[in-house]
Amino acid sequence: MLLESVEYTRPATVEEALAALASNEGAAPLAGGQSLINVLKNRVASVAVLVDITRLSELRNVDARSDGSLEIGACVTYDELDRSADVRRGHAILADVAGRIEDQQIRNRGTIGGNCCLSDPTNNLPPLLIALGATMNIQGGAGAREVPAEDFFHGYFSTAVEQGELLRSITLPALEPDAAAGYNSLTIAGDSKAIVRASAYVRVNGTIEEARVVLSVVGPRPIRHAGMEERLRGQPATDETVARASEAVGEGDDLSPPTDAHASADYRRRMARVVARRAVNEAMAKGGSGGE
Amino acid sequence: MSGRPSGETAIEPAERVDRLGKWSGTSVPRKEDRRLLQGQGAFADDAWQRRMGYAHFVRSPVAHARIVSIDTSKAESLDGVFATLTGQEVRELTEPFFQIAPEPGGKIEEYCLATDKVRYQGDAVALVLAESRDIARDAAELVEVEYEHLPAVVHTVAAADPEAPVLHEEVGSNVVWHGVYDYGDVDWALENADHVVKIDRLHFHRFSSTPLECSAAVVNWDPGTDVVEIYSNNQMPMFASLVIGPSLGVPSNRLQFRSQDIGGAFGIKIGSYPQLAGLALLSKKAGRPVKWTEYRTDHMLSAGHGNERVFLDIEVPVMSDGTILGFKVRAFDDAGAYLHYEPLGAVIWSQVTPGCYRFKHIHVDYTETVTNKCPTVPNRGYSRLQHLWLTERIVDLVAHELGFDPVELRKQNYVQPGDYPYETPNGCIYDSGNLPRALDMALEAIDYPAWRQRQQELGRGSGKRIGIGIGTTLDSGTNNFGQARIINPGLPFSGNGEAAYVKLDLYGEVNVNLGTTPQGQSHETTAAQVVADILGVSPDDVHVTSGFDQRHNTYVAFSGTYASQFAVTGLGAAMGAAEDLRGEILRVASFALEAAEEDIELEDGQAFVRGDRERAIPFMGIANLVYSNVAAMPPELADSVSLNCRHTYRPPFEVPDPETKRGNLTLTYASQTHACVVEIDEESGEVKILDYAVADDCGRLINPTIVEGQVHGATAHGIGAALYETLEYDEDGQLMQSSFYEYHAVTSLDVPALKTVHVETPSPFTPNGAKGMGEGGGAPLHAVCSAIQDALDDESPIVAHTHNPWERVYWLLNPEPGTGRGVGVESR
Amino acid sequence: MSDGDTAHAVKVTINGETHERTVLARTLLVHFIRDVLVLKGTHIGCDTGNCGACTVIYNGRTIKSCMMLAAQADGAEIQTVEGLDENGELGPIQRAFHEHHGLQCGYCTPGLLMSATALLKENPSPSEAEIRRGIRGNVCRCTGYVNVVKSIEAAAEEVSK
Repeated sequence: MLLESVEYTRPATVEEALAALASNEGAAPLAGGQSLINVLKNRVASVAVLVDITRLSELRNVDARSDGSLEIGACVTYDELDRSADVRRGHAILADVAGRIEDQQIRNRGTIGGNCCLSDPTNNLPPLLIALGATMNIQGGAGAREVPAEDFFHGYFSTAVEQGELLRSITLPALEPDAAAGYNSLTIAGDSKAIVRASAYVRVNGTIEEARVVLSVVGPRPIRHAGMEERLRGQPATDETVARASEAVGEGDDLSPPTDAHASADYRRRMARVVARRAVNEAMAKGGSGGE
Repeated sequence: MSGRPSGETAIEPAERVDRLGKWSGTSVPRKEDRRLLQGQGAFADDAWQRRMGYAHFVRSPVAHARIVSIDTSKAESLDGVFATLTGQEVRELTEPFFQIAPEPGGKIEEYCLATDKVRYQGDAVALVLAESRDIARDAAELVEVEYEHLPAVVHTVAAADPEAPVLHEEVGSNVVWHGVYDYGDVDWALENADHVVKIDRLHFHRFSSTPLECSAAVVNWDPGTDVVEIYSNNQMPMFASLVIGPSLGVPSNRLQFRSQDIGGAFGIKIGSYPQLAGLALLSKKAGRPVKWTEYRTDHMLSAGHGNERVFLDIEVPVMSDGTILGFKVRAFDDAGAYLHYEPLGAVIWSQVTPGCYRFKHIHVDYTETVTNKCPTVPNRGYSRLQHLWLTERIVDLVAHELGFDPVELRKQNYVQPGDYPYETPNGCIYDSGNLPRALDMALEAIDYPAWRQRQQELGRGSGKRIGIGIGTTLDSGTNNFGQARIINPGLPFSGNGEAAYVKLDLYGEVNVNLGTTPQGQSHETTAAQVVADILGVSPDDVHVTSGFDQRHNTYVAFSGTYASQFAVTGLGAAMGAAEDLRGEILRVASFALEAAEEDIELEDGQAFVRGDRERAIPFMGIANLVYSNVAAMPPELADSVSLNCRHTYRPPFEVPDPETKRGNLTLTYASQTHACVVEIDEESGEVKILDYAVADDCGRLINPTIVEGQVHGATAHGIGAALYETLEYDEDGQLMQSSFYEYHAVTSLDVPALKTVHVETPSPFTPNGAKGMGEGGGAPLHAVCSAIQDALDDESPIVAHTHNPWERVYWLLNPEPGTGRGVGVESR
Repeated sequence: MSDGDTAHAVKVTINGETHERTVLARTLLVHFIRDVLVLKGTHIGCDTGNCGACTVIYNGRTIKSCMMLAAQADGAEIQTVEGLDENGELGPIQRAFHEHHGLQCGYCTPGLLMSATALLKENPSPSEAEIRRGIRGNVCRCTGYVNVVKSIEAAAEEVSK
């Protein structure tokens, strides 16, 4: 399949990239292209100027800080996350999840920034980044701003990044020694499209002190499930607690999952409960080891 | 009631002087590989011609609509556009394609582009030709089509309703073929059986083997010679010629099909002829060669899908000892919007009427309808796999519902090893087999008792369940095309055949040239093996021309690569031609060596007198005499040899009887028995295959590794369809899986390591003892469904669909209150 | 939609040979390889980045060349199936596919060979599971992957000898 006519530019600096993005309403950043090129081939969205940001070295670093936090450039690929010793040291779950995105060729090109900025509800990384408490660092011509991952995803193919801005990097705070994260997906086949996903973060000190439960493919954007989190907090860290808490998922109108070629809304609602429980159980099983 | 008593067969065993053995039967590495591994294959999209333009089809975005107007002016004014073509022009320039169906289906008027109405999403309404692919696609978007929407019909049973919206007004309804197949006395059996198992509905879903290479072609209506050259990946060019020649008004001696390497086809590429006809017209109009590359989305929307079939009101008479007497069923087959090769599927299933079983009383009320969906075309296992899935579900459910051991029940009802050649109630002759042995071998390969024990130990409460399934299937090959007359008594088709040339070249080299169009089936290798055995050379010394070229290759109307028949028809032709050549070589050698023909042997590329290797003449010497030293031979010898031998293989068929719907419809019956172990996650319904084994019987093995490869491929296709691959339309007739994004073609993570074992029961009816194979009969569908069924509770609904994604399995484990089981038993 | 494509000078080294061409912005790398450089061994199977028939090795890593613009490849070093031969003879991975019937129609084969090449370079003795993950992005509709996995296992043994 073939794209419509398009202009292409490859700026040498972030500033040039921002200028290119600001100069034309139809401009869009091109990172790994593993989704955007498809969108353009299918001609479902129109782009006038593709601004290739893949060679901007500022966007390609993984910066491990002394406090245990990580700053990951938006154009770091899934494969680089998978192999990064820095990511593996403190945030192995991100490396593991990135290492199971589709296939090797896609992992070699697809980027963490692209996975977020596309805001496709089935994507792998958004629920995990929310669970990990990530901060999204957005750069515009007028300056930089930080948006919590939780507020970054606005809906289908829509994020906090405005026209003329760029997601520059993502900051992951250090995982506290008594905290851990879990991740679980139900996919249609091996390393394939998700029916539902869940990611969880828990901090346990005898009882569950803090819990974040994030679900995706249950609506236009990944959501934190306040009801389940509430039922976890302050409770003993047992499988029974988690099972009971997971009953909050799909209880009322907390979810608005789509019906599509792969699953009905009803099934997704039921499975959201299952993957939520599994993700929290995984986090609890790892708990106390600082993540892994 | 059956005419001939069982066991009295209409076919005499094939006569053969068996010279196969040194090379045939061994896993000779493939001759095709080198070019393909080096990136030097020649696929259809690799072709190029000077002055060539790029074609793009404009396709309907809606399922059913009247075409109010088409305006191509904007497209034509785009820079770089050479020409456009619309249905209106096609209607003026061509005749409708001939129809296989009798009336009423035969009244359908189909052209290569839609003329008055569009009847499925993806129906082609116009063609655009431009100087580049990009411009062609840009221009296609500028073609303005106004549609007047009509209601869509997407379910075959509903389509048959007289009140349903009609696709083809000239037909008068959506029912394009109806017939009753009635053998034995099923009403007697139902009245006298100890039990009658009643199954409400079984649904065989739509999917496609989706060859990785989409269709492609370069078509040139040569303005100088008036020859239409078609370089494509169509897999049955003679059928395409028969259909598009009369439509275009081009005699077949001016239609020239060519292909070399084809990137998989699986039957789907039989269906590319309407596009090829459109491209030919476009080439003529533009005065240029036309290149077409089908995009995957076009392929998913319009290249053709496998047949979808619904079975209703199934009744199965069973005796208390487990003998199954037969079955009664109403079948509805969904052909999609037009009849492409259909309604042949409405008879082809009857090659395997009783499946693998000794059923005597069978009644099938068969209806084929059109719907507002992509036309169906033969897809690996064509029409038999739907019916075989029915017979396998029947046996599986009889065991499940009446509490018989699933292994013993099958063995008891199988056609028995001593029964062959076995005549089915509709007069087909099963040539050979040993199904109980095959089942034992498959079960042994998975260690069946160990899995049964594991299943018991697992019990309930672990969150996981284990199910063990069996699928026995037939891969009937070498069609008797006379079966078409059961559909339409007016059709002048019967029998089957294939042709081949074998010759010695100028220096005595062996050259083989076939009528087939292989797509990975390794014809170059296996043809070289049998020819090498007959001529006493090595397969390395046999050159088999790659691909098909109508200008040079020999062929009959049945030529092509389809329907599990090459080992019989193709190799039969190559063997016959090689035998003829051998005879000529012996005659020339007899003269040259001054010895009797019967005293001469062929080995290592030489003819020599038995017992005296010194009295020898190499093939080079034979070729020298015939081609360049002809006056040295006696004239009567010189006039009787050419070293260019053509042979047509003709299987021993008679014309079936359209009245009784009886006759021998296929020459060989390869079988496959699959054993499958699944683990089901109770919470999600997710299915994981833990173990999988196949026992294959295709008679004499010409190349065991190649056979094994075919088994692997057919198994992967079946597993894909059973768990991952489906083509579904919404109520508006929009296809939900129109790319590989939604259509999950199975990957290396989805297909387990497969265990294969061989049973070898040679066919008495074929020139080499081999049976055609490759399609595989859809056995994984049978086995996976059986395994899921095995994991369910007694009170669960039955597995009633071929396609079982996690959600469907979840609902089987957690049925909504009030959901019926879909099955019942009446006992006396 | 843009008013028209921008044109870009592209210099790429493919299988050791350097090519300089001007391409339109919307030209996909796979069409550049197939149509401009006439290296027909790299195939197109799905158009959506799912099947891997267009896989090439790009600066040492496998990519799907239908998911990238040719203009982006400026300066890249690319290896395609045509670059796998060793002095005109089949290389060890190609040989293993031949000996273990790792191909039937051969259409997916070039992409699979590139994935196998990259996999074995990185991990000379992969487990079956690692091989299956390594070729997850290459759809084969003929072999059921059984003999492909076998071929790569055999190639690994051969290479590590």
